[in-house]
Amino acid sequence: MTVPDNRGGDSPEGLKRPRRIDGAPDEHRSDDAPDDRPRPRVMADATDGAAALPDAAAARPRVILDEGAKPTPRLDFGWDKAVAPVTLPVGRGWSSVALVGAGAALLVLGFSILEAGNFIAEQFARAAWLGGVTLAVALGGFGLVFAAIWREVRGYLALRTVDRARAALARGDAVELRAKLDAWQARLPAGRARAGDLGAAPIDAIVALVEAKMLAPIAQDAAALGRAAAVQAFAVTAVSPSPAADALIFVWRGLRLVRQVAALHGFRPGIAGTIALLRRVAVDAATVAATDVAVDAAVRGLLSSKLAEHVAGEAAAGAVAARRMILLSRAADEACRVLPRR
Amino acid sequence: MDPLSLLRGILDTTEDAARALVGRERIRLAVTGLSRAGKTVFLTSLIANLLAAGRGARTLPALSDAAGGRIRRVFIVPAGTETVPRFDPDAHLGALATDPPRWPERTEDFSTLSIAIDVERRTSLGGMLPERRITLDLIDYPGEWLLDLPMLRQDFAAWSEETLARLQRGMRAGAAAGFLAFLDGLPDDAAAEDALAKRGYTLYRDMLRTCRDVHGLRFLQPGRFLNPGPRGEAPLLWFFPMPATARGGLAQLCARRFDAYLADQRATFLDPFFSRFHRQVVLVDVLGALHAGEEAFHDTGDALSAVASIISGANWLERLLGAAPMRVAFAATKADHVPTRARDALAALVEHITLGARGRAEQSGAAVSFHAVAAIRCTEDAVARLEGHSVAAVRGVLLQDGVGATIYPGEVPMKPPEAAFWDAGLFTMPEFRPPRLDPAGVSGMPHLGLDALLAWLIGDAL
Repeated sequence: MTVPDNRGGDSPEGLKRPRRIDGAPDEHRSDDAPDDRPRPRVMADATDGAAALPDAAAARPRVILDEGAKPTPRLDFGWDKAVAPVTLPVGRGWSSVALVGAGAALLVLGFSILEAGNFIAEQFARAAWLGGVTLAVALGGFGLVFAAIWREVRGYLALRTVDRARAALARGDAVELRAKLDAWQARLPAGRARAGDLGAAPIDAIVALVEAKMLAPIAQDAAALGRAAAVQAFAVTAVSPSPAADALIFVWRGLRLVRQVAALHGFRPGIAGTIALLRRVAVDAATVAATDVAVDAAVRGLLSSKLAEHVAGEAAAGAVAARRMILLSRAADEACRVLPRR
Repeated sequence: MDPLSLLRGILDTTEDAARALVGRERIRLAVTGLSRAGKTVFLTSLIANLLAAGRGARTLPALSDAAGGRIRRVFIVPAGTETVPRFDPDAHLGALATDPPRWPERTEDFSTLSIAIDVERRTSLGGMLPERRITLDLIDYPGEWLLDLPMLRQDFAAWSEETLARLQRGMRAGAAAGFLAFLDGLPDDAAAEDALAKRGYTLYRDMLRTCRDVHGLRFLQPGRFLNPGPRGEAPLLWFFPMPATARGGLAQLCARRFDAYLADQRATFLDPFFSRFHRQVVLVDVLGALHAGEEAFHDTGDALSAVASIISGANWLERLLGAAPMRVAFAATKADHVPTRARDALAALVEHITLGARGRAEQSGAAVSFHAVAAIRCTEDAVARLEGHSVAAVRGVLLQDGVGATIYPGEVPMKPPEAAFWDAGLFTMPEFRPPRLDPAGVSGMPHLGLDALLAWLIGDAL
């Protein structure tokens, strides 16, 4: 479609003859356009044999093909990395506190086991039956302790399913996403609707199905739990004798609410799991914090008249606490969702 | 404004007010541009980058900053019961990302899409309410059809006179020689023969195609002659401009078809899509016009100002009813075809070329601004050695055979150039391969200046 044009240009060093680009694209014409159209100049840097150019001609646009004119890969501006969402650096390794805690736990547990071993050996030395009974007691006791630890670890790791599923969705990895969702479905409490076999459905369909069939009902239930907690918080705050008791009751009810919402999502976190869950909720509730202060101010503002003060009294604070519970249930639901809200 | 339009305007204004009250604003964004200005790619990039921004990616930093980082999520509004085809950004993105890549074909029909942007409320007290949801209505259409809008204010005689006068001048005269000879050969009282009407139509249509494809001209009417759309070349189109002396049955037939054509375009194109919108972006391939020569350059300016007189030229009543756009952005597209230092000149040039269009937008009370954007950035800055001098150039990979090339796009003047500039002759910018893209569009696509344009256009509404 285009032909070389060697009308312009001196012949500086290292320049090549004009080269043809067959089928070079043309934005202004269709393929059936006649041949008398204007010709773009396609040049290899310049031309030889041309006379010296006037200044105007020197400014002529031109196309300079690369050396050898071999196909080259498409440009890569590193866009994906440049626009990647800012993520807080993940702490690598263990913190000093965690190391101290783990060391203390190991010492306590390890020495307990060694101590118990020595004690059992001594008991066997005294009498075989005494040794047997001691061994049984030790196994039972340590078994319960390890069962508790195992449950904690499982509860903690289960929360990671959320991160993995969300990461798989962000990557567009359908296989991984399906696997994670299947594992998550298996953990849901009995009686909860399940999306069933996600089969070979595309990611969009999987997300829509899981959202509609599972996450939306869970969100409704979470909101209902939030409302129930709100009513309790309102009532308790309005009648409680001291602000300190308010705070305690609120913390206890909030903690319970978060665990209840987590249970809706199939997570039964232990102590470590609850702490991890609370951290997640705190992140999701960060946006809620500003609202919280605003609600507090607004409610107190509205009820600041003398008459309202008498009528409403401490109910204003109760309304704020109630509102907090609803927001907390929403934040907890947000934190536990296996797929981000669309 | 007829009573029906007035009633519709009042209803729409009431709806807008009600939506704003409950935090569910709807912004109709008219993406306007002549053919090959890059509307489809612009929309694809806008959607991909907005969706990515909704996922937290910093694809549109200026828009995100304008919104104070309050954009929470962005999603495509699920389809309702629309009769208009749906704009398919995934298919366009897939075609651009595939190997070898394909640019979108000429747009042959309408398509629409709505994007919802959830933003947190601006004030802390607003946090008591749910997030605001701004719905952005987008529409893609053949750019050629835009030139039908100025025809709506003309009758057949006026249109014919103006068109035939234009055909006598410049490059059009050469392209129209066959058609004009046919007109000369027609008796004034030619009968309403379909064979004659069709012959005249064919010659006129071919002339329009030559003007568009060979000479890079843009002020070509009627638009459906160049791009008949999904319904093809219906008998409705079989007319052509005739001199005032023609009084026979053929002239009457052409006039009837002209009126029917405009009524059809008004019913299917103008009224549903262009009668009311809140923001407008006018895309101009100013570099292409510059490279296509003096006549094409001025022709593009004329075409834009003719279109703007209809679209942006609202009267006081339309302004009162909110039917006129509040903000109009003029954008020079394909800004990646010039090096960074020339992009300001490109924006300045678009300001000059759209002088007529800008005047009308400003008259109607709209705020206007000028930008240089590349919906997809396909090149990087480079230095070329020309005649022993180093000049700023761009480097990209050519679409056709994947060969790397450095392009010196010539000087970009900041205002319409003097006569000597055009001595440099014509140039056709080659098409480039898009950069490496993620077909899933997780990270949007690289662009230049799209965020600043959007920040100005819709930033205040977020």
